[in-house]
Amino acid sequence: MKGLIFSVKRYSIHDGPGIRVTFFMKGCPLSCWWCHNPEGISQQPEQVKVAEKVGDEEFIKFRQAGEYYSVDDVLEILEKERPFMAESGGGVTFSGGEPMLQSEFLLEALKACKETGYHTAVDTSGYSLPTNYSAIIPYTDLFLFDIKHLDDDKHEKFTSVSNTLIINNFKMILDSGRDVMVRIPVIPGFNDDDHHLEKIKSFISENRADNLRKICLLPYHRIGSSKYKRMNIPDRMEGVEPPSAERMEELKVFFAGTGIKVKIGG
Amino acid sequence: MILSDRVKKLRDQSLNAAETLSPERALLITQFYKSDESRGLSAPVMRAKAFEYLLRNKKLYVGEGELIVGERGPAPKETPTYPEISLHSMQDLEILNSREKVSFTVDDDVKSIYEKEIIPFWKGKSNRDRFMDLMTTEWHNAYNAGVFTEFQEQRAPGHTVLGYKMFSSGFLKLKEEISKAVSELDYFTDPQAYDKNEELKAMDIACDAIIMYANRYASELEMLAATEKDTERRGELLKMSAICHKVPANAPESVHEMLQHYWFIHLGVITELNPWDSFNPGRLDQHLYRVYRKQKEEGSLNEKELFDLLGCFWVKFNNHPSPPKMGVTASESSTYTDFCLINLGGVKADGRDGVNEMTYILLDVIREMRLLQPSSMIQISRKNPDRFIHKALDIIRTGFGQPSCFNTEAIVQELLSQGKNIVDARNGGASGCVETGAFGTEAYWLTGYFNLIKALELALNNGFDKRTNTRVGLETGYAHDYKTFEDLLEAFKMQINYLIDIKIRGNNVIMKTFAEWLPVPFLSLLVEDCISSGKDYNSGGARYNTSYIQGVGLGSLTDILTSIRYNIYDNKNFTWDELIKATDIDFKGFEQMQHDLIYDTPKYGNDDDYADQHAVAIFEIYYDAVNGRPDSRGGIHRINMLPTTSHVYFGSVIGATPDGRKAFKPLSEGISPSQGVDKQGPTSVIKSASKIDHLRTGGTLLNQKFAPQFFEDEDSYNCLTALIRSYFALDGHHIQFNVVNADTLRDAQKHPELYRDLIVRVAGYSDYFNDLGEDLQNEIIMRTEHEGA
Repeated sequence: MKGLIFSVKRYSIHDGPGIRVTFFMKGCPLSCWWCHNPEGISQQPEQVKVAEKVGDEEFIKFRQAGEYYSVDDVLEILEKERPFMAESGGGVTFSGGEPMLQSEFLLEALKACKETGYHTAVDTSGYSLPTNYSAIIPYTDLFLFDIKHLDDDKHEKFTSVSNTLIINNFKMILDSGRDVMVRIPVIPGFNDDDHHLEKIKSFISENRADNLRKICLLPYHRIGSSKYKRMNIPDRMEGVEPPSAERMEELKVFFAGTGIKVKIGG
Repeated sequence: MILSDRVKKLRDQSLNAAETLSPERALLITQFYKSDESRGLSAPVMRAKAFEYLLRNKKLYVGEGELIVGERGPAPKETPTYPEISLHSMQDLEILNSREKVSFTVDDDVKSIYEKEIIPFWKGKSNRDRFMDLMTTEWHNAYNAGVFTEFQEQRAPGHTVLGYKMFSSGFLKLKEEISKAVSELDYFTDPQAYDKNEELKAMDIACDAIIMYANRYASELEMLAATEKDTERRGELLKMSAICHKVPANAPESVHEMLQHYWFIHLGVITELNPWDSFNPGRLDQHLYRVYRKQKEEGSLNEKELFDLLGCFWVKFNNHPSPPKMGVTASESSTYTDFCLINLGGVKADGRDGVNEMTYILLDVIREMRLLQPSSMIQISRKNPDRFIHKALDIIRTGFGQPSCFNTEAIVQELLSQGKNIVDARNGGASGCVETGAFGTEAYWLTGYFNLIKALELALNNGFDKRTNTRVGLETGYAHDYKTFEDLLEAFKMQINYLIDIKIRGNNVIMKTFAEWLPVPFLSLLVEDCISSGKDYNSGGARYNTSYIQGVGLGSLTDILTSIRYNIYDNKNFTWDELIKATDIDFKGFEQMQHDLIYDTPKYGNDDDYADQHAVAIFEIYYDAVNGRPDSRGGIHRINMLPTTSHVYFGSVIGATPDGRKAFKPLSEGISPSQGVDKQGPTSVIKSASKIDHLRTGGTLLNQKFAPQFFEDEDSYNCLTALIRSYFALDGHHIQFNVVNADTLRDAQKHPELYRDLIVRVAGYSDYFNDLGEDLQNEIIMRTEHEGA
């Protein structure tokens, strides 16, 4: 069995504790307007246009996004990073795309990682069948779980899916006792109005639990826009400016009211 | 810690003082060599008397508000020359005065003194002139082709650091030791008894000379006190006068005394000759701690006084640019820095955690003083607390390039494997850029950089150097003669062995010229066991003697060999003829090939064994060629891997290379990957770099550039700490961080006037960005910037 992975990041320090390796798995059922990994959406390998400079000359090349990895391939990469994980209390994170879209491979990979002794994390949108989550829970130490919007209509408009399943999965995972970090993308004009922020805050407060470890506020950024250009995809976020550092600090204080540790960034 | 007005003022003066060339020393040494006093003496005694003459006649300087006194020149940054080592010509003086980088003001009076007094006497008689005549044609051809540099060309052998002994005893005690050694000379069975007696006599003269020099300051300070109107300052001057009466004749007993004691020693060493890396107090936190504790308990030193003293001490180093260098020496070490590297942390003589209260105090001083000199490093042992590293990261994150990080366990093992005893090993550290040494007991000389890529270029051209149009290497064949990659590697090995032979033969002659004509009786007093053996530091008198040849371009050469194997032998993407044609014309019209060489060929620095195996192969070939070869003072040749700025010079003599590098561009530095080819982040760089066996070297240099985002919060501090500790668990020797973003640097290039204080880490040392050549500036900008987001 193989998994389709479009990027492997070493010295990943924002996707869970310590120094980690993050595998970005290809394919996502959502289509968020602000997505900064558009090459992670399709479930097929694809050719991505890149400009490679040699002196003043630019070479336009098509590089493949997406390679198939076996579980052994994953373990081999992790073995290379073992000294850093051991020293830092790090581990492995499966992100995406949406890793749950390849839940069979994910389950095998997580099992093998646990068996080898690595700390495991799954970074998910929450949009998958509850049975898929129940299957991986025993092998997952930490969930990085996105809460994007609590209003279903808005959620569907900006991500193309309903949030009902997501909210139910969130509660189920919390109940399992596994560590959870909530990640809230802060998207100007989408989810950052006072009314909605209050709503998220009370939602988190209602679900407060010892294993809800941290709230991560991820400021919207424009890294994706150059990719959209390269991939010839219309950029629906054109003209949207990232939130200011001051604004993020304000939000940090605001969410600290939940009594849960808040961090700006992953 | 907040800088007092006194220290701020001295610091500003030091930063604003112009580097100028002072003729004082050249004149005095010429007068002495011309005088009758210098005749009929053995070399050590003659040099000791020259030393005495210099210290008796050089101008004294006491700056306003200074608490530590003494300058090498007549005033801060007035820099002497050493014509007995190497003579500046009139043309050299013009160049020094007008060159864009690392210049020295040379006014007309100085030029006239040089023309009338200095040049006529020394022409053809400097040590450089002398030994250049003794070098073989093969040596000259290799030197001119840029195969290696010669460290002792314009500077005396150095690379020695003070051990604790000299912080705990004065020169009167050394005189007793000398007298004891003289009385134990055995004229019946020791054929060298006479020579030893002359050396010891010279050492004794040098002891008296440094005490006399301190007494001159004591009198001067007393005189100044007599006319000083400010009561507080008068008190300080009298106290300083009393201190100069006491040290360095007697052992220092307070922090103030220790710093002044050391500073007189430092001045003695750099006045006697111009050894590489000036001189160095070494493990300063260890040395000061005991006395500091005592004073703290007595209540005789408050925090303000302590920081004032340390601030004044720091300024002293910054007042002393490295002496004016020319030609290849200037290219290989293009900087004002004189490489004094303060060591903090590590372990104590008994092997226990060496971090103490003074360590943190000195880190504060480094952060607040923010000066180019002295440079600083932290020795990190498994036993040291994370807090110590975090405190250093607080300074590193500001982009100051200091302190750099060293692995204590690696240093200790390196020294043990070289045969040092465990206590000497634990008391050791790193000096200069990254050079391992046993402090207070070892003379570990760098003898020159070695251009690893040039050896391959010769292997591809049947030993012929196209740039100088001479045969430099062995006739091992041309590129297309090598049927297999292994054949090529074998030819490379033959070239390395042949060229290293030339270098070592030269070293062994040059060392002798220093032993015969330029002994250093004062420096010999400071390094054990010169007194007990009656031998000079320059003749193998130290307990341990090591001669290093520093390999340069490991990353570049790894990429070149990898590219050859990958593209020619394994995948047959190109033929030799195609590749040679393309590199011969610097890829003009072959940009597609150049693209493939850069983007589609494996590179060192990505934890890819296909590439990294060649780093290991090069390392082993180089190690075998050098390691264990005897030198001519009873020491042993060894390797280390560092470049200072020679990777730029060596790149300037190498045409386009099969890794896609354009002709004459800089090579990689230290053991770092080529600029910009490490695409997998710092852990992969560390993995690649740890595949060579650091413990068999005397130091390696790994430079990593980080964007400031890597230092944003506690989590990232913990990750960086873990990153460093992981590298060290893999036996890495040293890692340093350049924290800056490329946009800032580009802006600094455009508006240098706005960035006068911008210090970056170059390769083993920090430098003002403005003082770097444009090529080096570009290289630093290019070095991979790892994104934190």
